[in-house]
Amino acid sequence: MRYADFTPYDLVLLAQGLGVTLGLFAATTLIGLALGAALTVLHYYRVPVIGHVVVAVTELLKNSPVLVQLFLVFFGMPAFFQVNMTPVTAALLTVSLNTAAFAFVIFRSGVEAVERDQIEAARVFGHSRWQILRRIISPQAAAFSVGPLIGLLVNQLQVTSLISVIGVADLTKIGNILNLRTLEPFVVWSVIGLTYYLCAKALAALGGRLERHLRRSVVWQGL
Amino acid sequence: MIEINNVEKRFGSAEVLKRINLKVEPGEVVTILGSSGSGKSTLIRCINGLEALSGGAIRVDGHDVSTSAGLAAARRRSATVFQLFNLYPHMTVLRNVTLAPIQVLGQPRAEAEAQARALIDLVGLTEHADAYPQRLSGGQRQRVGICRALAMQPRYLLLDEVTSALDPEMTGEVLAILARLAAEGTTMVFVTHEIEFARRISDRIVFLEAGELIVDMPTEAFFSEEGGLAVPRIRKFLSKMTKD
Repeated sequence: MRYADFTPYDLVLLAQGLGVTLGLFAATTLIGLALGAALTVLHYYRVPVIGHVVVAVTELLKNSPVLVQLFLVFFGMPAFFQVNMTPVTAALLTVSLNTAAFAFVIFRSGVEAVERDQIEAARVFGHSRWQILRRIISPQAAAFSVGPLIGLLVNQLQVTSLISVIGVADLTKIGNILNLRTLEPFVVWSVIGLTYYLCAKALAALGGRLERHLRRSVVWQGL
Repeated sequence: MIEINNVEKRFGSAEVLKRINLKVEPGEVVTILGSSGSGKSTLIRCINGLEALSGGAIRVDGHDVSTSAGLAAARRRSATVFQLFNLYPHMTVLRNVTLAPIQVLGQPRAEAEAQARALIDLVGLTEHADAYPQRLSGGQRQRVGICRALAMQPRYLLLDEVTSALDPEMTGEVLAILARLAAEGTTMVFVTHEIEFARRISDRIVFLEAGELIVDMPTEAFFSEEGGLAVPRIRKFLSKMTKD
């Protein structure tokens, strides 16, 4: 069966691939954001040594190709540390850490964007460092961060397509399979591309609503 | 009582405060005058612990602000109103005023809100209790700043150039409230450029010059020919400040 036509079953395949992509994206986003937020808290408390290590590691993750990181985790780590690594584990680990590194940078700038004056006021009124982080800094930093964060996540959604290279059956991998079977690359990659596009647009729209909600205290009074 | 003993503050090689001594008794209104850069705001920032002392000691009701336990106790006894209001922009007026009573004093929310609403009524912002600070004028924001401070039921109110960022009309709004507080016996340390107002409400006037406290006198004496006006520096300052 070399030059087979499209069948209705291909839609099921496509849906499965989309499910894997979205599932992996959701999982790595949750882990990545949680880890990024945790690193930001560590950084806020200026924990000695750890703060520097965090910055160094995130710099490495931000400034090297995700595909290389993926190869390192999938091929390099099992060889070096004698551990088993399934494609899904490798994909989860790599993309989560990568998201965490960028989220850390975004959250950190969000924290730094909160005016020092308010923090001084809160200190004078006797709030603890934790209360200041929780009540004063976090809500404002979240509002500042959500825009750049949506940009990051839209990008990370595209980045998940790289995991098809190590054999995870995501949307791109399904595209590959359909392409090899039908030899209709234009149709296949148009459909796959459009699917990513629609997901990204939906994500951006959701993010926009969240941003408006978080920034409700800031009203435009005209220019 | 706020006791300031031989307080020194240096930023690098710059001496901002030089061996300052000052006592503020409960019920007193003490105004600190001096030109910009004389160290007035720094002194307030030393009392509320935003700046660490380079020398000397400050005690608020006996609590030494240079120890962390002492500072926490001192901060419970005083509250600060800031020049640029320093409100929390993501919280409504009501939340700005109730945050510290709930979080720091552990007041029940209902009680804190009732008290906050009473204060907000008092400063004439009843309709704005649920507005965000950005919707308010400068004078209204500063009135919220005063409510936020009063909600902590402080023994000492520290006022750091609270009208310097306001136009004359808004300044009037804020000063009217401060005059009422002074008349009710609120203890205040008042850093300001509003000379005439200071003269009306203060018990004592302190004059800082280049980080040194050069005069500490009852208000009447400060403005008399044989008292403050006999000091050339103060005469020059007052004539400049009251010219217009």
